Amino acid sequence: MTVFHFFNCAMLTFGPHAVYYSATPLSEYDTIGTSAKAAAVYLGTALVKLVCLATFLKESENDNFDPYQELLKVLINFIDVAGLYFALTQLTHRNISQNHKFQAVGLGWAFADSVLHRLAPLWVGARGLEFTWEYIFQGFEANANLVLNLSLAALGSLMWLRKNKPRTLIPIIYACAGVLATMPSITSYLRRALGWQPAKVVSFELFSSLMMAFISWQLFSACQRSA
Amino acid sequence: MAGRKRARCGGGVEVLDSIYSVVALVLILVACVELGDAATAVDVYRLIQYDLAGMPYGSRHAGLNHHAGAFPFAPGADLSRTVVMMPVRELNLTLLQEYIINKQPFGGLLFLLPQKVGKKIVGEIKSKDDGLMRKILVELEQLLIHASIPYPVYFAFEDDKINSLLADVRRSDASGQPTTATTGGYKLVVSSPEPKKLSSPTITNIQGWLPGLKGDGDTSQLPTIAVVTSYDTFGAAPALSLGSDSNGSGVVALLEIARLFSHLYSNPKTRGRYNLLFGLTSGGPYNYNGTLKWLRSFDQRLRESIDYAICLNSFGSWNNELWIHVSKPPENAYIKQVHKSLSDVAKELGVTIGIKHKKINISDPRVAWEHEQFSRLRITAVTLSELSAAPELLENTGGLYDTRDSVDEAAVYRSIRLVAESLARHIYGYQGRNIQIFADNSSLAVNPSYVKSWLDLLSRTPRVAPFLSKTDPIISALKKELSDHTVEVHVQHETIDGMFSFYDSTRATLNIYQVASVAFDLLFLLVLGSYLILLFSFLVITTRGLDDLINMFRRPTYRKVKAS
Repeated sequence: MTVFHFFNCAMLTFGPHAVYYSATPLSEYDTIGTSAKAAAVYLGTALVKLVCLATFLKESENDNFDPYQELLKVLINFIDVAGLYFALTQLTHRNISQNHKFQAVGLGWAFADSVLHRLAPLWVGARGLEFTWEYIFQGFEANANLVLNLSLAALGSLMWLRKNKPRTLIPIIYACAGVLATMPSITSYLRRALGWQPAKVVSFELFSSLMMAFISWQLFSACQRSA
Repeated sequence: MAGRKRARCGGGVEVLDSIYSVVALVLILVACVELGDAATAVDVYRLIQYDLAGMPYGSRHAGLNHHAGAFPFAPGADLSRTVVMMPVRELNLTLLQEYIINKQPFGGLLFLLPQKVGKKIVGEIKSKDDGLMRKILVELEQLLIHASIPYPVYFAFEDDKINSLLADVRRSDASGQPTTATTGGYKLVVSSPEPKKLSSPTITNIQGWLPGLKGDGDTSQLPTIAVVTSYDTFGAAPALSLGSDSNGSGVVALLEIARLFSHLYSNPKTRGRYNLLFGLTSGGPYNYNGTLKWLRSFDQRLRESIDYAICLNSFGSWNNELWIHVSKPPENAYIKQVHKSLSDVAKELGVTIGIKHKKINISDPRVAWEHEQFSRLRITAVTLSELSAAPELLENTGGLYDTRDSVDEAAVYRSIRLVAESLARHIYGYQGRNIQIFADNSSLAVNPSYVKSWLDLLSRTPRVAPFLSKTDPIISALKKELSDHTVEVHVQHETIDGMFSFYDSTRATLNIYQVASVAFDLLFLLVLGSYLILLFSFLVITTRGLDDLINMFRRPTYRKVKAS
């Protein structure tokens, strides 16, 4: 029964990635190599982030919300953007269209994030006898995160790979990318400083990521049309 | 583990999150590690398991893994997979008795004992509730230790966690079906190996001497007075058998008497013409088996030199009447003399001493009083106790109810005064004279803080003999205390006679898990499956078009390869 629960939670956490890969044309073009590279970049980024956090951040004894520390964390979280930039532009990908490239990178990125952050707690926790909603919420979080990373990768590809964009859209693209990049910090702020319940935080994450995805999609297709 | 860490430290969440990235890989490798992180872990105490002459008694199992349930149940409900939680506060004893006699199968029983009440003021009148609770506990204990129960039985103390759990269980029971594997609820788990028979349970007797003043001859020529008390306990839960009254009060009295007389005997001028022998015996609940072994180890000369023995038994909660229990008829000269010396002092202290005569039946293996072991060897002996009638086997042996609260310190002081004074008058030949040797406020007064601290220590220490090792801290403490006051302290280890055998695992940790039902998991799987299918269809339609999706189902093996 508990293995059953683990299986369910794992499916919720990692299922969407697989579904996304197999349902979209990504599978037809066999872009798994690109995703794997993106995942590797994610690993490197996570390591750099870890070093930065350990160097610049004081380990606070209590749960107090310190604005300065939080700001530092937001800045460190922007290392993710740098990693994504590297994955999108510097890596030599097989000859695939920009369209598929950002999807593959976003997918790899999100999957690596899910595996590294969620698999171990899931394995340890969800198999136990004790039932908590935590792992189900975590699965939903992974879903939101996938959407978020795909949107960010889409905007990234707009910013860095596409040359001819409508001028009027450029500030909007940058603003949206900024919002997307700070999203993890925002949710962490909601969770810790405002003390939101997990259910509330997760629904906010889902809602906001869908909203941002919609906006990114609109921006992307606008750029596509103008090209 | 990881999840709990996350909840605990807030500031380091980011750092920890990143650490996960590294740790995750390691954890995946050590995936086979099984971690039991229950929401709640409670200390529980198992019902004793023992064999008496080959007959099984007590709880015969230790491992527990069932859903929690609470009274009342629907009639005819199957409880064989339910751990029934019973607060002793609202226990229906007759119902329980019926269940046990009818051998109703339970998954397990968990008795919730009322939380130990905070320190009580000495001499405070015990509330009615207390008396009632005590009565219930006595009856419950007798019921449990004389039954053979084929499922695990545990005791736990009520606290906020348990009470909220009980309320939850009751609510879900009231709202519908009782909890089973399919409706969720709480799971109570004690992972404990099958209890093993203790190979050779030992009992340990401790003795110490205060030698009298040598006259012209040898010390052993002097007559000896023995003060004896048994210190071990027996009860439904060995780890909760503290025995403050039976027989913690007796042990305290013996130690205090030894202390008082060691003062007198340290000075040659006040050293009496009697040897004093102090004996702390074990095996009291088992027909004073330890006393028997101890007496048998004496040589004939020593046995004959014993003038009389006075056995101290339970006098922590009497008001104004104590009893002397004897085996010889009260008209016997020695008995008369002991009785008179005690009742003289009692009169001065304003209490009365009654005398009860109970003949020994040599063929009856039951030894109800400690002095009977002496009497069987033709040594004059009496037992001083607050009990007016001889207890049955395993009755009044310091079980669940017998906690510090049940002992009145004032009663213990009075008893000590009584015994010490009468002994002193006998030793120094002041019979019939009103001389107070251990008067209050004198240098030889009974020391209240000494009595209190020993009473507190004994009331914290379960002392069921088979579960005490030879070097148990309490045995060492008793030995050390006795050797501070007396000389030639000797510790004797013996094995309990074959009639009794005991099983281990007396305490355990109960893990309480909140579990989801299988139905919930199935439903979740269903919802999840449809979510993923919908997502798949949605993605296919938006990225490739509806036709592709339909094609996919029509010819699953066929893949249209687009030229890029």
